[in-house]
Amino acid sequence: MTQHDPALLSAALAGVERALNQAIALSPTSHDELAGLAGTVLGVEVTSFDLTVYLDIISGTEARLMTHCELPTAAFVRGTVEDFASLASSKDPAAVLINSGIELEGNSASLIALQQVISRMDIDWEAPLVATLGDVMGHQIAETLRRIIRWGEGAHASLRRQVSEFVLEEARLTPPKAELEYFFDAVQSLSMQVDRVQNKFEKLRAKVEQKRGQP
Amino acid sequence: MTDDTTSAPHEEDNTTDFGFTRVNRGDKAGMVRGVFDSVAGRYDLMNDLMSGGIHRIWKRFTIELSAVRPGQTVLDIAGGTGDLAAKFSRLVGPEGQVILADINAAMLTVGRDRLIDKGATGNVQVVQADAQQLPFDDNSIDCITIAFGLRNVTDKAMAMRSMLRVLRPGGRLLVLEFSKPTSALLGKLYDQYSFQILPAMGRLIAQDAESYRYLAESIRQHPDQETLLDMMETAGFANCRYHNMTGGVVALHQGFKA
Repeated sequence: MTQHDPALLSAALAGVERALNQAIALSPTSHDELAGLAGTVLGVEVTSFDLTVYLDIISGTEARLMTHCELPTAAFVRGTVEDFASLASSKDPAAVLINSGIELEGNSASLIALQQVISRMDIDWEAPLVATLGDVMGHQIAETLRRIIRWGEGAHASLRRQVSEFVLEEARLTPPKAELEYFFDAVQSLSMQVDRVQNKFEKLRAKVEQKRGQP
Repeated sequence: MTDDTTSAPHEEDNTTDFGFTRVNRGDKAGMVRGVFDSVAGRYDLMNDLMSGGIHRIWKRFTIELSAVRPGQTVLDIAGGTGDLAAKFSRLVGPEGQVILADINAAMLTVGRDRLIDKGATGNVQVVQADAQQLPFDDNSIDCITIAFGLRNVTDKAMAMRSMLRVLRPGGRLLVLEFSKPTSALLGKLYDQYSFQILPAMGRLIAQDAESYRYLAESIRQHPDQETLLDMMETAGFANCRYHNMTGGVVALHQGFKA
């Protein structure tokens, strides 16, 4: 009678919920902020997949994901996967909420507060490594992973810069940003001048017709 | 998770099903008790192995659909080893109450010990009770769950009437039970699994192939989705519906007391 097999969705949510709670456990600085949202239920409908998921923040250290919820929701958002991806990665979620295709019912404050908690989460993922492998080994592996991540971030930024330079300077596939902005300014200025000339012309024509009409 | 009275009574010859065989109704309780006494100690382990852990997902969805809130009273019939009761205990909080009921003392003992180990105490009562004659006040329970237990009840209609009696108006019954696969191919695979692999696993792990053969046979004797839905409506439940899970291998039926 349901469109999706609830078992499949529940299995997926169980995995995500476990990862989420593990992340919360490893980010002690977020506990107080999350505790402030305890009792808040948020609903999310992803229209791309006809999928509805509820997030129940039980306490500062635990959250629950559900496919079915009869508790009152503080906020319910509806949108496509792309909308939610841009909301999650945005530095200005309020602007995304207003300008994207996301529909919001209820209070956006709790949604924005949660987004900010998530963006400020500082996950100490070295802790489980140290707990499992010991202080020395755990720290060394964590340090190696950190170096790899830093190198990956640097390589990503460098690649973006180099691709941008190639496209703009060497291949000249697109004009530079400053040149483009100058062009748009010139187009806007020309448009305004044309508007002014048109107005003057209309006024003159009106005067001429008025004189012709006189005996 | 048992209720060791059994299924499909025949009024005319006073016999009932015990898996695929027919036995006297009077003998059934002891036979089913024997099955669950035999498997009680390794019931959860076997459930994990037999279902690949999926039974936890089925139960997770059952808990979601229960919509249990703090302060409510939940009755988990045929609650056996207490995995649902432990989760309900957290959801109802200190003001609420969870009653773990099972007719089989061996399963109930395992369940009680597990609940204590999990720290689910204070708001949990353990009661040995027959689903057909629930020893609770009328209109006293907010939510009743019976997971993988209804197929073992002799008189399911009587059990449903008893559940309806103890539910508060607006309260809900959730029946999680094996059912009929929706695809013919899955049905064939499921039959092979149930009658070839399941007893072999029972023999290897619990040294008890017969008990697991009975479990497979009792699943086949259980009413399919629509029949059980009709039974719930006939018993007096309102807004009845069901959700097929894992291709109909399991169905979760839901009904409310008007």
